Amino acid sequence: MTWTDALEFLRGPLFRIAFLVFVAGLVYRLIRVVALGWPKDRVLSAGSKTKGVATTYAKGIGIFPFIPWVKQTFNGNAVTFLAGAMFHVGLILVIIFGTAHMLAWKSLLGFGWPTLPVPIIDWLAAATIVAMVALLVNRFTHPVVRKLSGPAEFLNWTLVFLPMVTGYLMTHHLFFRYEALFSLHMLTVDVMLIWIPFSRLSHFVFYFFSRTIHGAQFGKRAVTP
Amino acid sequence: MGEETIYEHLTQQGVSRRDFLTYCGVIAGGLGFNRLAPVSASGLPEKLADVPGADLTSFVSHALQTKPRLPVIWLEFQDCAGCTEALTRSQSPTLVDLVLNKISIDYHETLFAAAGFQAEAARQAAMEKYAGQYVLVVEGSIPVADDGVYCTVGGRTAVAILEEAAAGAAAIIATGNCAAYGGLPKAKPNPTNAKGVMELIADKPVVNIPGCPAIPEATTGTIANFLVFGELPELDDLGRPKAFYGTTIHDRCLRRPFYEAGKFAKSFDDEGARAGWCLYKLGCKGPTTYNACATIKWDGGLSFPIQSGHPCLGCSQPDFWDGGGFYQGQSAPLDRPAATVVGAAAVVGAAAGAGFAVANRSAKKKLVSIDATPGEETS
Repeated sequence: MTWTDALEFLRGPLFRIAFLVFVAGLVYRLIRVVALGWPKDRVLSAGSKTKGVATTYAKGIGIFPFIPWVKQTFNGNAVTFLAGAMFHVGLILVIIFGTAHMLAWKSLLGFGWPTLPVPIIDWLAAATIVAMVALLVNRFTHPVVRKLSGPAEFLNWTLVFLPMVTGYLMTHHLFFRYEALFSLHMLTVDVMLIWIPFSRLSHFVFYFFSRTIHGAQFGKRAVTP
Repeated sequence: MGEETIYEHLTQQGVSRRDFLTYCGVIAGGLGFNRLAPVSASGLPEKLADVPGADLTSFVSHALQTKPRLPVIWLEFQDCAGCTEALTRSQSPTLVDLVLNKISIDYHETLFAAAGFQAEAARQAAMEKYAGQYVLVVEGSIPVADDGVYCTVGGRTAVAILEEAAAGAAAIIATGNCAAYGGLPKAKPNPTNAKGVMELIADKPVVNIPGCPAIPEATTGTIANFLVFGELPELDDLGRPKAFYGTTIHDRCLRRPFYEAGKFAKSFDDEGARAGWCLYKLGCKGPTTYNACATIKWDGGLSFPIQSGHPCLGCSQPDFWDGGGFYQGQSAPLDRPAATVVGAAAVVGAAAGAGFAVANRSAKKKLVSIDATPGEETS
């Protein structure tokens, strides 16, 4: 078996399986979460649910991240905040606005969009990788984060880090043949796709659930932090 | 006759000493691709170290003056004769003309004057006369389904002809993607169960010169390598000479700077296409395709597909017909699962989720009902 065969398998059948597992897994998780039920709410509202939701999104991803010193995370552990932000921004931009990635989306969705110039994507990818390394170091050095880190955290980190690194090496044609790195990139992406629904990596969906519910509850009780 | 050297053979054909040395220079140039840095692994520099003067031309002329003529038998099976057409239209006539016409070809169906039984007889005669010495060039894939009936020449199957001819060959050169890896006939669903030479012949050295068609200079250069060194060039893991297949199209592409700068043509008639920008978004397979198109080019170095504005199809790679759409970006998955399949996956996920949810609820209800009647246990 050659790298060409491997690449064909990893871009073809394995990707299809991974994608279907990803879809089925996410729907399964969604149903499980929704079916947890809603406790009957007999308490009178002390504040506005809508306002609570709006505030919590503003704090979470809207405005406050850009004024870090109002964030507890930043004051408690600046590395988690800064590297975490860098990682998330970089990852999202690379995945959506990288030319190669957009073409993958286009083939699945049927439509494409303008992409960012390669050098910008390249620097973002490098920054994302550096941020991930910083976050890993932080997990070992920060006493609190260290206590919070178990095997699941390190596995999640690894399964996100590998596609990042193989993708970066691939676009730069470093160390190995292009199709070998392309194969490894696809393999790690396929594994990550399968892993996402059943791990905390699924927070890219469930983050919005928890933000909304917590925001509504805080708002209703007028205790929005 | 068999011991007649190439030089003697050429002088008999009226080639002067001056022309002979010119030819030697041409062949040396053809082999000189080996000297490019990425393929120095081919070992040519070490071979030259033994030669007095270490001059490639004098090395070639020494070889041609001492070695016997190299007979070539050229067979065609499931092919379009495109590789032959490319050879005959090659604009580097000295090398191709020298290697194929003046020195080597003993049997070639397309180029032969003879036809029918005469041609068959000529092949048999050549195979007997040069048994164990000739280089067998194969063009086209070999079908093996239903005892190979889908390709017959003179009433005999391609498999039988290949096996017979391979038995007496010193080496086999599979030219074109069909002979090398099955090519177009092997594309899904491969109705004739077409195979490349390497899949069928295990006991002879086989060199693949894939391409659609193969670059003429790569075919003749490989024959020249055998002529001069008496052995086949060093091959990569897909059986291709490293001298011609050592780097990707992308590595040597004249549009590569635009790739690095992120400037892509988005359609065949937009501003980027007119400005000669990178064709990656239009489905170029250059990054994974190993061939010499970007360096040797076609028609005497005039151009090659990417230079002319068309993305590389990856025709020197195995199964390139099934490697995703020609005009689909290479990063895209090979195929898109049908909406119904994705829907089915979602339904399976939903059913599993609902199942667990129902099971949990009934378990919870039981617990609640036990909690609600504590008196029964305590009394």
